[in-house]
Amino acid sequence: MKKHLIAAAAVLTLASCARQKPLYDWHDYDDTSYGYQKDSDKESIEDILGSYNDIVREQKDGTRGAVPPGVYADYGFLLLQAGQTKKGSQMLEREMKLYPESKIFIDRILKMIEE
Amino acid sequence: MRKLLSVAVLFSLILSSCGLKQASKAAAYPGMYDERPNTILIMPPINRSTNVDAKEYFHTTLYAPLAEAGYYVIPPFLSMDILKRESAYDSELFLDGSLSQFGEIFGADLAIFTIINSWDKSTLRAAITVEVEYIIRSTKTNEVLFRREGKVTYNTSVNSGAGLLVNIAATAINTAVTDYVKVARACNGYALKDLPDGKYGLLYGTDGEELSGAEVFKVNLNSDSRY
Repeated sequence: MKKHLIAAAAVLTLASCARQKPLYDWHDYDDTSYGYQKDSDKESIEDILGSYNDIVREQKDGTRGAVPPGVYADYGFLLLQAGQTKKGSQMLEREMKLYPESKIFIDRILKMIEE
Repeated sequence: MRKLLSVAVLFSLILSSCGLKQASKAAAYPGMYDERPNTILIMPPINRSTNVDAKEYFHTTLYAPLAEAGYYVIPPFLSMDILKRESAYDSELFLDGSLSQFGEIFGADLAIFTIINSWDKSTLRAAITVEVEYIIRSTKTNEVLFRREGKVTYNTSVNSGAGLLVNIAATAINTAVTDYVKVARACNGYALKDLPDGKYGLLYGTDGEELSGAEVFKVNLNSDSRY
């Protein structure tokens, strides 16, 4: 019994060192974002757009159940650069709705598109 | 008695690995609790190492751990583009100067600077050693609110279970083509693991009594490391 208690306490102590379960489900963003930053070619753009699509579609491994901050915005930004203005603007709007703190710089981007 | 003693020793070892001797987070990073920052801007990493790609590795892998700590992270690709347009891409210029313009342009409360001082690969030792600094400053007061300076040795060895010679060969190949993104991810995850939780984190405003980590650290990590 005593042994069990000690083991349980040790586990708790160790667990307190680490962050809890992830807030968000990032899918394969780590790999595709690096590929995009390094190459920015057609293939890497398609890959990262695929990751964004996965992230906004499904958050089953994230405890918040919300799309991570900045994802809608970067998704929209890359769509705009790829010439998909309508879908891109929609994504930027979604970022502002979900995270009002983004309004300050998204307004700036939206203004740039209009010009 | 002896048993009790060994249990006590074991516990103190476990606890010290979390940094028990350190101050509480509220005492170590008072500005993080006074200012209650929410939004953070990732400054383009400063690369002083000989690895030309290190900047990209660190930039792309900083986003997730900061968001996981509960912060609103200014979208990294969009912000990089704006920084380039505003001729603010060289972070070195802002390392010690005023950050108020980043508050005005992005609404950022914080800016995080990373300085990669060295990146060395040793195929024989099956390891990559990285020396890196993290500096988080307030855009309102320009004060440094959180700082880390680490030497991280990332073990790239492979144990295939097929015998020593095969393992050595597999390790050599693995080190040569090691997924450097994983190394940067491990460095960032470890260095930022005790950053106080931001607005979207589960412990926002309630983790002040938790223990802070060491400002200067040396650590061995590998692909199985969890923090």
